[in-house]
Amino acid sequence: MSNPLGAEVARRLAPHVPYLFGCDVADPISALESMDFVHADTRHAAIGKLVRQLRVDTVVHLAVMVDSPHAERSIHETDVIGTMNVLTGCSAPTSQVRRLIVKSSQAIYGAAATDPSFMSEDMTSIERPATSVTRDLLDMEALVSEFALRNESCQVSVMRLGFRVSEDTTLARYLSLPIVPTFAGFDPRLQLLHEEDAVEAIVRSVLGDHPGVFNVAANGVVLLSQAIAIMGGRPAPILPPYAAWMARLGMRALVRVDVQAYLADVIAFGSVMDCSRLEASFGWRPAHSSREVMDGLASGKNLEVIEAPSPPQEYELQVYLQQRRRREARNGHHTVKVLEAHK
Amino acid sequence: MIDVKSPRQRRKASKPAEIMQPDPGFQLSKQIRRLQRRAPLYALQGISELSVRLKQMTGHDVIDFNRVMEFVQFLYKQQALARRGANYAVDDFGFDPQWTESFIDAFMVLYRDYWRVETTGVEHVPATGRALLVSNHAGVLPWDGTMIKTAVFAEHSHPRHVRALVASLFMGMPMLSWFLRRTGQTVGHPDDTRRLLERDELVLVFPEGVRGTGKQFKDRYRLRRFGRGGFVATAIRSGAPIIPVSVVGSEEIYPMVADLAPVAKFFGLPYFPITPFWPLLGPFGMIPLPSKWRIQFHAPIHVENYPPEAADDQNLVMALADEVRDVVQQGIYDNLKLRRGVFL
Repeated sequence: MSNPLGAEVARRLAPHVPYLFGCDVADPISALESMDFVHADTRHAAIGKLVRQLRVDTVVHLAVMVDSPHAERSIHETDVIGTMNVLTGCSAPTSQVRRLIVKSSQAIYGAAATDPSFMSEDMTSIERPATSVTRDLLDMEALVSEFALRNESCQVSVMRLGFRVSEDTTLARYLSLPIVPTFAGFDPRLQLLHEEDAVEAIVRSVLGDHPGVFNVAANGVVLLSQAIAIMGGRPAPILPPYAAWMARLGMRALVRVDVQAYLADVIAFGSVMDCSRLEASFGWRPAHSSREVMDGLASGKNLEVIEAPSPPQEYELQVYLQQRRRREARNGHHTVKVLEAHK
Repeated sequence: MIDVKSPRQRRKASKPAEIMQPDPGFQLSKQIRRLQRRAPLYALQGISELSVRLKQMTGHDVIDFNRVMEFVQFLYKQQALARRGANYAVDDFGFDPQWTESFIDAFMVLYRDYWRVETTGVEHVPATGRALLVSNHAGVLPWDGTMIKTAVFAEHSHPRHVRALVASLFMGMPMLSWFLRRTGQTVGHPDDTRRLLERDELVLVFPEGVRGTGKQFKDRYRLRRFGRGGFVATAIRSGAPIIPVSVVGSEEIYPMVADLAPVAKFFGLPYFPITPFWPLLGPFGMIPLPSKWRIQFHAPIHVENYPPEAADDQNLVMALADEVRDVVQQGIYDNLKLRRGVFL
């Protein structure tokens, strides 16, 4: 609830369900009248008690960290141990959980040069050299599939969401750099996912009836160099290929972006998912293509964020002033001054 | 304040609007800039005059001005491509058709002037719809793939892009992986092949793989095993006809006399070739020899008439793979007979 995805899912679900209950370790970012909220940590057994006491019938488990500044250890705790707790809570004999939706990520496939061009749902493999996030996600999904086998009364959907580039993701920060260090000699394909489509996919999986594992990512791809050009940056092919750790150290030192190991692989080799199963089962495809996601990020870069506007008039005034400033800034490059004809 | 002047008076008193240009910063003088702009034209004029003079003196074309113009066109195309910025689209495999077409000119020089490729049977390649081209593979570097691509694009009545399948090893190489993906190649994975065929593309596959390119000069024009027939199974499943292709001439571009297996193993390569010029002459050893090439496209083998379940029948698949192999081998013998000499 404390991140935009959870908050938006809750907001969209609220009108469709009789009772909505949210829990997170941090405060929710938006107050929702029809939702009860409690501070609870998925890493503790309390979550199971909650599920049983409230006689919850649908659990949407979004507390899976992928792109996070936390240490690998704490990501493991949240992803694997947290999911284990949630599953234990749901699998108690008295539990009434009939649907479970688990958020996963495209990072589960990792990225390697020798990968096929499209990863379908069954192409995860523990044998490949994997980064810690990939291993955690594989562990987590193994637990989930085991749960699904043991509890046949409960329908489990795993949504592998594509990489998102909203303002605060590492990938967006990387792509927004003025000079972007890239791996020398590689120009991978990137597949992205719009925040709205991620929310829509989860809402549809809650309201619909689609058990199984699904890849969720936008149509089409953009090349890394293309994405950088869209953002107005300039690629600098200086990172050594096949030395991801060196590249990560370099990026941390030079441009102060801490690119996680799995993301470094994606930037080197690219990762594209096959979403035909989603389309066949849901009858729906993400509305925004990868290119549109990138364009959206690029146009959003120029916007200023208006902090907490209290009265509505004040807000409108701020928006007006911002628009005016932007218009002036745009015209500033090529000033056309029309002299008044009469004094 | 209310303006009391009439429109007529106002017009009379008005001055034209003054347009303020931003400061351009440091600039060379006007004359030098004009010279810079016109330099390519002056150079072309000079070359054309020189070619005319030389023709008058010697009696035959010393400088072919058409070729010069083609080169200039190529440069202008590259410049136009650089101006696209981010305004281009690639397909899901990372294929950029515009960019690829700009490079066809460069490969045309190799195709027409260097290897003097003679192509027959290009009419067997369908103008629309899916097909699987199956070719022999030779030469240390996969130049045969580029020449088949150029042949279909340049000689076919409906220029089409051939999408070749390459070993996943090459997709891990810097620069090469970028170039291969950008020009429409993809990994030789059954899934990729199926996907390309389902999009009604022309797919080129070399079932011999690195066993074909890595064979020594003494084994030239002897086909290796055609994989495990996976290409036939994929073609049956996707309902694509198989078009066998025989390439003659690619064996002689790098006459490989020995293979340094330990060095290859150290670099993680499938083979490390020793030719009369490589690694003796360093980078010059990588220049392919100007052998005479012939490419023949054979009549399609219609495996799409089989039901998709037939793909699981290993007997049938291997029989069809052998049939394709025989056609390719026979085509090689025929074309070797038609070729007057290795370099003629």
